[in-house]
Amino acid sequence: MKPEARIELGLLENMWRKSRTMFALWFAHMTVYRAEIFIWMLSGVVPLIMMSVWIGKASANGGTLEKFDAASFAAYFLAAWVSQQLTVAWVAWEMNFQIRQGELSSRLLRPIDPLWEHVFRHFTERFVRGPFILVFVIAGTFVVPGTKLTPDVWHVLEFLLVIHLAFLIRFLMQCCVGTLSFWFENATAFDEFLYVLQTFLAGGFAPLEFYPPAIRAVVEWTPFPYMVYYPAKILTGTLTPSETWRVMLITLAWVLAFGILRSILWRFGIKKYGAVGA
Amino acid sequence: MIEVANLEKHYTVNEKEPGIAGSLRSFFSRKTKTVKAVDGVSFKIAAGEMVGFLGANGAGKTTTLKMLAGLLHPTAGTAKVAGFTPFERRSSFLKTITLVMGQKQQLLWDLPASDSFLVNQAIYEIPDLEYRATMKEFTELLDLDGILKKQVRKLSLGERMKCELAAALLHRPKVLFLDEPTIGLDVNMQVRIREFVAAYNQRFNATVILTSHYMADVTALCKRIIVVDKGHIIFDGDLSALIERSSPAKIVKLELSKVIPREILESYAPVKSLDGLFAELLVPRLETSKIAGRLLSELPVADVTIEDPDIEEIIGQLFQSQTVKS
Repeated sequence: MKPEARIELGLLENMWRKSRTMFALWFAHMTVYRAEIFIWMLSGVVPLIMMSVWIGKASANGGTLEKFDAASFAAYFLAAWVSQQLTVAWVAWEMNFQIRQGELSSRLLRPIDPLWEHVFRHFTERFVRGPFILVFVIAGTFVVPGTKLTPDVWHVLEFLLVIHLAFLIRFLMQCCVGTLSFWFENATAFDEFLYVLQTFLAGGFAPLEFYPPAIRAVVEWTPFPYMVYYPAKILTGTLTPSETWRVMLITLAWVLAFGILRSILWRFGIKKYGAVGA
Repeated sequence: MIEVANLEKHYTVNEKEPGIAGSLRSFFSRKTKTVKAVDGVSFKIAAGEMVGFLGANGAGKTTTLKMLAGLLHPTAGTAKVAGFTPFERRSSFLKTITLVMGQKQQLLWDLPASDSFLVNQAIYEIPDLEYRATMKEFTELLDLDGILKKQVRKLSLGERMKCELAAALLHRPKVLFLDEPTIGLDVNMQVRIREFVAAYNQRFNATVILTSHYMADVTALCKRIIVVDKGHIIFDGDLSALIERSSPAKIVKLELSKVIPREILESYAPVKSLDGLFAELLVPRLETSKIAGRLLSELPVADVTIEDPDIEEIIGQLFQSQTVKS
């Protein structure tokens, strides 16, 4: 084997070893907080409440509303809820805490970008959250007769890809917010603002079909529908293949944009770090 | 191994008058002040040297260590640690150093320390064989048996500190920045940590900078000390030289077999204290043996000990005078 190939193999081995160990550590950590994660899941029930509101509206309108009947509303809002659950991120809060309290110091001393710790925390948390999501989804499909999340396994695979990208949008967006803690006393205020925007614009309140065309046109230019609305549409099989491709490319573009922004903010912000109290 | 030249770190801090009026004024116009935490510090430390970094709270010790560990970006000046510029935080630099902060922890609270060790093994890319050998060595030196599998939050402060040290040194760094590593620990545990640091220094020829409010840590480990005050170095040299320079007298402690009047004792040397049969005399360093001999032959002395003055007192005097220069 050529020396270059051996180095490459060594790098891959090291990466695999780091990933495996960090996964094991953070998974163990997250299982300690399984009850708290379940309670936290309950705080994200807006799509489930909106599901009953919209089904009620459809029933009052003779059973359908803009091509949505009770089963399709149920499918959409269940998918929206799943998307929301799988894109949950709290890294802004963590970074804010670490920067303000000096907890970032011990992370900066290690030869690995502190971002990876957050990635693994979030990734492993999904494995604890997953079984609860499954229970909710199965229960949800029984509540409204005829509800089918997806008719096709391909949609599930597409959804799995898109939801990872959607998570990265939200995660990196929050990383940017967290990095602002290098300049501001408390950057979580920005996160609260983003949360409000996301609640109204991501599609958790209503499918974008029900937004006024002018507002929808604006919303389409934001990253929010790519976190909940479009993943939900893919999971319910209501996007054409070409639309799915378009969504994937735009989602990827948002990931890249926030990734680059995070790198720039981090590079400048780290020089402002005061390592207070640590 | 460490070269620091004219290192400075200035912070901008907000100032607010107390009370509602102060809060209102601060709401519309915030007053700021520049604090010079480190102000033109220069020194060199050779490989394998152990140096005590002393100073009162807020003197600039920890800020200097943080700059040397790459956590803080200096306002001015240069620093080189093992040939690296710390703030660039290159991977190879971070594998060469460690910073242990007695008041902060890197171990995960909810999991056993052994889990954090495994993560460090992966992150620092420590081969299995080396990891096992290091763990075996540390387990013996720090008596870690039986505590590695307990949740960190269930460990005592001393046990936690031992695990913190082990985690921080697992990658066998060549440069150790130890910031109050024995804070809050009982005397036995302090001794254990000191012995461990000394053994590590010997074993790996590691360079150590130590800050501690326990002077016993410094006297036990460091031949050289650097004293900082208000961001400046006010002394850099041998601990023994500082003692000699700052306190030209030794303390001769006498236990007498019968009470002797103060005037008689004063005829030998100034009396620091006299309490019944116990007396302390401040004897000029160069005349110690001569005067001690006279005391033993001319007075009813049951026991005698000769000591250097308390190092904490000397450092205290140094802060007050700020005139001593190396």
